[in-house]
Parts: sequence; structure tokens; C-alpha cells
Amino acid sequence: MSLPLSLQSKNVFLATALIATASMALFSGSGAMAFPEYQQFVEKHSGRTANCSMCHTNDSGPTGNDAGQIGSLTEAKLKQLNEARAAFEPGQDVDNPILNKFGNAIVKKIGMKNVLQYRSDPEKLATALGGKDDLDGDGIADSREFLDGTDPLNASHGDPWLLFVHNFSRYRVHIALAVLSIGLLLYGFNKVIAALSSSMEKKK
Amino acid sequence: MSPISGLNDVVAFVSERFPVDKLNFHSMIEKKEVPIHKMTWGYYTGGLALLFLFVQVVTGLFLLFYYQPTVSDANLSVEYITKYVSCGALIRNMHAWSSSLMIFFTVVHLLTTFAMKAFDRPREITWVAGVCLLLITYGFGFTGYLLPWNQIAVNATKVGLQSVELIGTYLPGAIADLPRILKETFQGEASVGQATLGRFYAMHVVLLPLALFAVLGIHLLQVQLHGMSQGIDRAAQKSEKFFPLFILRDLSVWGVAFLILFVLALCLPFDSFVSFPLLEPYNALGATPPGIKPEWYFYFIYYPLELLPFWLILLLSNLLVAGLFLTPWIFRDTSRTTLGFLALLGTLYLIIMTIFGHNIYEIFKGGG
Repeated sequence: MSLPLSLQSKNVFLATALIATASMALFSGSGAMAFPEYQQFVEKHSGRTANCSMCHTNDSGPTGNDAGQIGSLTEAKLKQLNEARAAFEPGQDVDNPILNKFGNAIVKKIGMKNVLQYRSDPEKLATALGGKDDLDGDGIADSREFLDGTDPLNASHGDPWLLFVHNFSRYRVHIALAVLSIGLLLYGFNKVIAALSSSMEKKK
Repeated sequence: MSPISGLNDVVAFVSERFPVDKLNFHSMIEKKEVPIHKMTWGYYTGGLALLFLFVQVVTGLFLLFYYQPTVSDANLSVEYITKYVSCGALIRNMHAWSSSLMIFFTVVHLLTTFAMKAFDRPREITWVAGVCLLLITYGFGFTGYLLPWNQIAVNATKVGLQSVELIGTYLPGAIADLPRILKETFQGEASVGQATLGRFYAMHVVLLPLALFAVLGIHLLQVQLHGMSQGIDRAAQKSEKFFPLFILRDLSVWGVAFLILFVLALCLPFDSFVSFPLLEPYNALGATPPGIKPEWYFYFIYYPLELLPFWLILLLSNLLVAGLFLTPWIFRDTSRTTLGFLALLGTLYLIIMTIFGHNIYEIFKGGG
């Protein structure tokens, strides 16, 4: 794997060491997973099964020749990949073709340096992401979705209770109107039932 | 018994169950009374199952406009419905939630009618038709589960069809091949693929609805012909007219149930209970992801299947189905107290297996 072309960091040694670490993690015995520590943490923490597609384009991770994996990338995409891998510091816009929107957002928010560092304590990733970003707009912060093992890019997926609370608040007008309609209907039915019952009693 | 006398018995049986003199508005609607007692709530459970069936039909029709029953497009079309079709997520959630609620209320209805001895003469056909409806409802659940064509759908269907084939190993002689033939008929090709999706789709949207409406017609006709069963040992002190009083009360219950369904479908996506890797499009070349399970309403048989020998579960489930069909004759002389106790045991079993089935499985198999 070639070094990033646009590497202009002052600390070239540190960058080289980090890339080497990343590459080892990427192609080591972990197989298809880039950083298996994150997946293992998410599964243990949430009790849900997870896979690479939480952050990667391909659910089997970056290694391989399928769509979204390194083997399938064109030269231009490889260049993009290398540029993204050089984004060590937070705040840099990245468009890594092997990462999905959440994966790229993580790199932008905390930088590759921290992504590598937090492997030993993945919970720190959630803290570093903060509680504001919500890529799918489902009302649950991305960091929380990471901890819960839910899909941060799917508005229909999240912790059921949190989703319910958020959607209840979001659709409160719709719900209020539905309650009002059904309430009026029940009121009407009750009045009719009462009237019919009394008329039947009188007949008896 | 001579053939003539046997035929007479059959005619007498059918005449009592289908009294043609009662086939009129006066007998079936005007005269019909609903007893009022402590178990009156049981009379609403069948209506609730019917409400959720209506919701299934309406939302299912909307989904039909967009759903594509091909392995390449099925998952994408479901995603399209959820993300881009106006109110698509709501309609899909209503379909999913109402399917679960329909099965829930069908089971509750079965248990309450059992406890109330509503299968007693002359309502045997009502009961048998009801058991058929329950099985058809489970058939809807099984065939509908495959349609989103995601990891959990395809892999769970594979497990289900393999279980059907496995039955053959416990059957003698020529009938040993029947389950395999049945599985191949449902599957349509070597593995679960396009042919399977097409067949499950045809069953889900055509064959099962036809069967359901035919049997439901018999069930409802019987209910109207014979009226509501007494439900308790002593005749009820009070009763009310089925039409219009009970119908209006029933509609009120429907209103509340529909409101609950609407709020659930609006606020709580059904998919949120499943791990996200299981919702990804099915990958025929990939490994089977962990956590493949059927829908919750199959847990009562799924967890015992995971824990106990297959032959034992097969035997018990066959006995259960046979017992359900023959209930009106097996429990003809059983008191309502005993039936109530048996229904309570059945309810406890279903609750425990559905809610704690996984924990029970973990206790016995988790360490292994």
C-alpha cells in the first residue's frame, strides 16, 4: 500500500507510524474487519449484533474485491482513500470510498489519529463524537446509536424507546388530532348507546 | 350402523349447524342478544382480530402498488416505500404492527372461547373454522416474513423450510417423501431464491387471502346463526341487543384499538427491534449472520425446537393441532372451570416462551 500523496504533516514519522498501524490493523488476522475492536465493543455494550456496515460501505469490511472494498477501487478512488487516511487531525472534510457517511463523519469529527487511539477504549469514541450530531435525523445522537448498536444512517432504526419518545414529540399534532377524532367518535357512540338503551328500557 | 342411518346422522349434524330457517335478518341480527357478565370482554376479541385483518388488507393493498417481488428489487422496493413514498413508512409500519396484533388477538380469541366453552354444541363448526383461521393467520406471518428479502427474512425462511423437510425422517414408508415434496413445492428451486419469493408472494397476496375469506365467511355465518355463546355456567342475568348496541360498543373498541395502532406505527418502527445487520439486503454469497430468529409469535415453538429433540416437538405440535381441531368433542363434558384453568396454563406458557424464551435458551444452551 503506498503512502498518501498529499502527506504534508510536520511529523512525518508519527504519520508513517500511524499509517503502518492502520494498515496492520486493516490487513491483519482480523480478516475483513478494519477495526474489530469497535464492533466487539458495540456488540458487548448493546447486546445487539453489529457488523462493519455501521461505518463501512461494505458490510464485510474494506478488504476484498466487492463493491465498496479496496480491491474494487479505481485509481481515482484509491487516491481519495489515501487522502482520507491522511486526515489525522479532526475537522478535515473526508470522502473515504470505503467508509459510509457515518464512518466519514467520525473521521472528520475526531481525526484518524483518535480513531486509531480509541481502539483500546472504544467507549471514548462515543464521548468524542458528542451528543449533537444525528446523521439520520431520527432524534438519537450518532454517538448514542454507536453505543446502542443501532444504524446511525437509518431513521427507522434506533433504540425503540428513544425512537418512540422522539417520534411521539415530533408527531404530537398528528397524534392530538387522532385522539380528538377518536374521542369525538367515542363520545358520539356513547350518546347513541345511552339513548338507544333508555328507549329500549322504556319499550320493555 | 347402516349407511342410511349414517347419512341421516350427517344430515342431522349439518342441519343443526346450518339452520336454514334462521337465515334471515330477524334471526341473525335483530333477535341476536349478547350476554353481559364478567367474561363479556371475551366477545370483543374476535372483533379486534377482524379489525386488524381489515387494516392488513387495506395497508397490504397500498404496499402492493410499490412492492416488487423479485430478488433484485424486493429489498430496494421496501426501502423505497419506507424512505420515499408519501406515508410509506406509516403504511408499512401499520402493516407490520397490525399483523402482530392480528395474530395476538386471534390467539387471545381462541383462548377465551376455549375458556368460555364457546365450542360447545352446536358451535363445533365455528370452532373448527376458527382453528383453520388461526393456522391461515400463521401462514400469513410465515409467507410475509420473506417478502422484504433481507438477511433475517431469507435465512429464517430457509430454517423453516428445512424443518419441514426434516419431518420426513420421522415418517414411515411412502409418506416419508411428502415433507420433502412439500418443501420443494414451496421453495421452487434448489435453494431459497426467486421461485420461492414468487410463490410466497402468491400465497401471501392471493391464495391465503382467498382461503381466509372463505373460512372467515363460514366462521362469521356460524356466529350469526347461533348467536353468542353463554360463556359462563349460569345463564347471564342481563343481555343487550347485538344490533345496534353491541355493534356500537364494538366500534368504540375498534376506535381505541386503531388509535393505539396508529400511534405505534407512527412512533415506533417495527424494524427497530431487529439488529441492523439482519435488515441488510440478503447476500447469497455471504455468511449467515448471527441472531436469525422467526417473528415473536413463533417463539412458543422456536425455543422448544432449539432446546428439545425435533421428534418430541413434532409429536407435541401434531398432538396440539389435532387436539385443537377435536376440542369440541374432546372437551364436550369438561366444566368451564377446568377449561379456564387449561386456558390459563396455555396463556402462561405462551407468555413465558415469548418473553423469556431467549433467557431460558441461554440458561440451558448459553454456556455450551
